[in-house]
Amino acid sequence: MEGMFYSTQNVWTWWIAIYLFLGGLGAAAVVVSCLTNMYIKTHKELVLWGNISAFVMLSVGSLFLFVHLLDHLAVIHVLNPFGLLTKPDAWIMWGTQFIVWMMVFSMIYTLPYMLETPFWRDMPLVGTILGWFGWLGKLSLSFHKVVGWLAIINGVGTVLYTGLLLQSFPAVALWHNPGVPLLFIISAFSTAMAFLLLVLHLAIKREEDHDIKVLYERTDVILISIELLIIFVFFHFTTYGLESARHTADILWNDMGWIVGFIGFGLIVPFLIEFRGVTKGWNSATPVVLAAILVLCGGYLLRHYFMYAGSYERPYPAINSIHSQSNYNLLIE
Amino acid sequence: MANKHYAMVIDLNTCVGCNACMAACAMENQTPVWKNSWRTYVHDLEIDPGTDHQVRRRFFPRLCNHCDNPPCMSVCPTGATHKLDNGIVLVDDELCMGCRACSMACPYDARFDVSYNDVEQGKEFYGELHHRTRPGVDKCSFCAHRVMKGLKPACVETCVGSARLFGDLNDPDDKVAKLVKTGVAKPLMVHLGTRPNVYYISEIERAR
Repeated sequence: MEGMFYSTQNVWTWWIAIYLFLGGLGAAAVVVSCLTNMYIKTHKELVLWGNISAFVMLSVGSLFLFVHLLDHLAVIHVLNPFGLLTKPDAWIMWGTQFIVWMMVFSMIYTLPYMLETPFWRDMPLVGTILGWFGWLGKLSLSFHKVVGWLAIINGVGTVLYTGLLLQSFPAVALWHNPGVPLLFIISAFSTAMAFLLLVLHLAIKREEDHDIKVLYERTDVILISIELLIIFVFFHFTTYGLESARHTADILWNDMGWIVGFIGFGLIVPFLIEFRGVTKGWNSATPVVLAAILVLCGGYLLRHYFMYAGSYERPYPAINSIHSQSNYNLLIE
Repeated sequence: MANKHYAMVIDLNTCVGCNACMAACAMENQTPVWKNSWRTYVHDLEIDPGTDHQVRRRFFPRLCNHCDNPPCMSVCPTGATHKLDNGIVLVDDELCMGCRACSMACPYDARFDVSYNDVEQGKEFYGELHHRTRPGVDKCSFCAHRVMKGLKPACVETCVGSARLFGDLNDPDDKVAKLVKTGVAKPLMVHLGTRPNVYYISEIERAR
């Protein structure tokens, strides 16, 4: 059929970008902090900061999704874990379960550390609730590695879900390809490294953590390099791909927010700062902190632009509520 | 006896753009027309001039394609979107939480929101016969409630140009099955792998 029409959607926009960003960042932070604590260096503060921050991030992100549901009561159907038996093909179902169980197991993993920390024990309300779960803290300590691995597995699942969710929409070339989950996984772990570097430099501030900071910086340099390579692959895929992909290319590669904001300041600048830090070192923590903040901003921008630049191709203009108002105006003029 | 496999053929040559199908569908299925949301919609398109430099006008009806491989169903986390044995894809309002993953997945722009506000407004607009009680995401059902009774979908029943034909692909004597089998009627965007069950006869095919 001749005369195709192209449109982007305006229903899953910045709020779902925040959900995907916080979901990926929080889940990857749980994975990294638990693995660090179990296999690199026992680090109570890192687990407390990483896992409690992740709990808050996942709560806020999930709240964004919940608020935008059309029927809030029906959310009960997706919270039921047995739903996986009837809907194993739906990534939102898997994602909800991964998120819920990751939050549960990461908090059980963190519980013994919270119980022995005066800050949490003496906090009004939180301290009272912690008192009720003293038995669970002891139990958690007995099976700490098992609980940690349960949190890690569900954390990896959550990170994977944030990419596979978009991949499951076949109508949009930008989303429906195996590069999206890979890109989102790499980005999630990169932002988690950046976040934990901020925690180590600004909150925990311990000299003896130097080796962990170096490890995280080195890992982040590698992750950003891979992310840059994947972005180049997407440049090629959108520029020389299907018509809807080319429409996406027109949006992305003519937008300074994407080119300068995300690729420039979200990837290349922090890469250079961290690369310099890894090879020659810095005299102060400021450049590393700056790089970490830029990586976090870039992580959000990536998801923001992916939501806005996904282009649908149809033999007629879009009219339904999912699409931008400009299409509707075009139609009725 | 094999299950029925319902499909629709739309002849773009005979659609006169009267929009009676839209009106019939809206009244039958009580859609939120006050915000321009329709289960079926007739686009009024101008198409490129050919060698004769004549601008042509085409009416293009569209609706849910009731795909055999519906992406809206696979992404639905609650199982609200489901497919009947006869090929009709339906939404269970009681299960739908309105996450709109189906809207994102649908290549045909067939889905639209029904909010709490729309449910209330529907009561005023459609009166005491209004049947929708929950918000969620809505779409064409091929008028499954009518088809079960042996009737045709409301849009087919009302079409003055007989542009819409509804039938069973598993019945070799059915006109719809014949049009599809001969290749005169073609589905939209087959490259996406959705295997849609709404077929179109374009002017080009008719000219042959």
